[in-house]
Amino acid sequence: MRLGIPHFGNVYVAVKAMARRLGATGKDIIIPPPMTQGTLDLGVKYSPTEACLPYKLTLGSLIEACELGADTLAQARGTGICRLGYYARGQEQMLRDLGYNAQFITVDISHHKIISIMQLIRNMTNNASWKEIISAFFFGIGKLAAIDKVEKVVQEIRAVEIEKGMANRMYREAIKGIDDASDSREVKRISREYIGMLRKIPKNPQADPVKVAIVGEIYVVIEPFSNMDIEIELGKLGVEVHRTMTLSRWVKYSLFLNYLGVDEWKQVHKLAKPYLDHDVGGDGWESVGEKVLYTRKGYDGLVHLAPFTCMPEIVAQNIMPSTREDIPVLTVICDEQMAKQGLLTRLEAFVDLLRFRRRR
Amino acid sequence: MDIIKVGIPRALLYYQYYPMWESFFEKLGAEVVVSPLTNKAILNLGVTRAVADTCLPIKLFLGHVISLIDKCDYIFAPTVISLGRKAYNCSKIIGLPNMTRALIPECPVILAPEINLEKWRYHVYQNIYKLGSCFTSNPFKIKKAVEEAWKSNLAYRSKMAHEGITCPEAINRMCQTNQQLDSNCYPSPILTIAVIGHPYVLYDDYLNHRLISRLKSMGVKVLVPEMAAEEELDIAAKKMVGTPHWSFETDIVGAGEYYMEEKVDGIINLSVFGCGPDSMMVDFVKHRAREFGIPFLALSLDEHASEGGVLTRLEAFLDMIKRRNRICV
Repeated sequence: MRLGIPHFGNVYVAVKAMARRLGATGKDIIIPPPMTQGTLDLGVKYSPTEACLPYKLTLGSLIEACELGADTLAQARGTGICRLGYYARGQEQMLRDLGYNAQFITVDISHHKIISIMQLIRNMTNNASWKEIISAFFFGIGKLAAIDKVEKVVQEIRAVEIEKGMANRMYREAIKGIDDASDSREVKRISREYIGMLRKIPKNPQADPVKVAIVGEIYVVIEPFSNMDIEIELGKLGVEVHRTMTLSRWVKYSLFLNYLGVDEWKQVHKLAKPYLDHDVGGDGWESVGEKVLYTRKGYDGLVHLAPFTCMPEIVAQNIMPSTREDIPVLTVICDEQMAKQGLLTRLEAFVDLLRFRRRR
Repeated sequence: MDIIKVGIPRALLYYQYYPMWESFFEKLGAEVVVSPLTNKAILNLGVTRAVADTCLPIKLFLGHVISLIDKCDYIFAPTVISLGRKAYNCSKIIGLPNMTRALIPECPVILAPEINLEKWRYHVYQNIYKLGSCFTSNPFKIKKAVEEAWKSNLAYRSKMAHEGITCPEAINRMCQTNQQLDSNCYPSPILTIAVIGHPYVLYDDYLNHRLISRLKSMGVKVLVPEMAAEEELDIAAKKMVGTPHWSFETDIVGAGEYYMEEKVDGIINLSVFGCGPDSMMVDFVKHRAREFGIPFLALSLDEHASEGGVLTRLEAFLDMIKRRNRICV
């Protein structure tokens, strides 16, 4: 079996780690090349015109995996309010029409998440023992957590470093190092080392970074290709970026703590209540709540990312301007028509606005 | 005491549930005010309020709400979250009352009972009771109104399925509204075409440029999803995609599959630009139409769609079917 997965942030690191732990060779797991314009073009060509960007990107990524010889593909599924529920179905049909003979396996991410994932791994490994599966699983998500920990520091340093780009270079090295690490102790050591090195990067003592939070739809928030590296660009403009949504957080809560009755969004939902009183699918409810939260925390601005025609985010976008807690919000709609220069101009104007407001 | 006036915007769920709502509110002693037929002014009112990416039916809904300000004491816009097990509605319909409150601050009080069949029945009853108690403190009166409302809903559905009429026609026969009656004489039909889409797109004559009456005058027998019984649509939809995750898509994919099995001459899908559920589901119908070898036309409407463009495509589609069926014109 040759398993292909679509790209989604650093998920590939975790999948690779798990597979290697369970004795898979490089041939058994196919990670498509990093996403490029070509991936997007492929996805756009074979998707329904009005499908959303994550659909198009994951389809492009899956086609690339098929080209590399994958015969089994993994995709998320769920019964939700947003389009995600039909991703696997639509993409499977399209790949069959294109003549790829790939089998689809789906991970249920709305109910029984952890069971569904465990079962999937077990089926794929020809019934390896549960002990092995669980240890491999924790090894994989440990890598994700380590990367996210480094990233948090990178987001701070980017805004204040003197020589722009140093933090990014180190972040890339750190991902590479963590990806290559073969046991948990090594992962921890690498992440500690890189965090230490990042803290030592020379900083501009006069820098007074404005603080911006990134909220929105999970795929475009987490996958840098889909939002045109918006965090890096903001960093170059001297902005300290904060983002609640990370993969390791999703894993930690959705797969474990939610079952114990811990709701990571409880506070955010409560804050959103006066404006939007129930879940609208996707991350719409959270976006509204986070606006209120970050205003109270004293952030300077909010960047709201959403794929074009994303239903929950449109609801959020319509409601956001009417909240009493008022900070500037820049809504960036991500789709295949997006151009880097246009984005940069808008970001510069937005950051200028934030600086101006702060000086007042 | 003055009679309480409840405003119902003539948009979105109006077409599916108006007879039910009307008898509910009238039994409770309230007066129902329906907004006028969609026109350009209403559309413009709505378009200026919402974010550009919002889909057209929502903008129209906002326009209708604005046109009801000053004419009523309450606006009725239920929060319909789920109409079946593991089936939800589109986010925008769920968030509609909240969006309306945010975008039209001067709007009268919005009555937004939560209808969520994912939760247990009692929850729905409780919400309807809460809605009823805005009008009367007599629980028996509310119960009576609910029963009456449900009865007229069933009558409405069966009327459409048995007599083969569209939503506005049925509403016209059952209720006193100023919906225009279509009393033209049409040529005898030579083709049968199923038109599938959300009721609020199919029956809003301003939005779809009078598509249904246009088709009729071109000698087409028009079938719409409401003309089939609900159970049949459910079965047909299951055959195509399993149980749809969106309640209102059952009618669309179900009607697609059902009418294709009935061997219609062609299928026209009417959707609006930016409709999330449609963007996925219609693709399945299209795929299935290819398997059946039935012509399929997807018409996407938005606030810019020009009448001429729609007409040209319709004529071309019909000509193609006629040539295919070797009907001399």
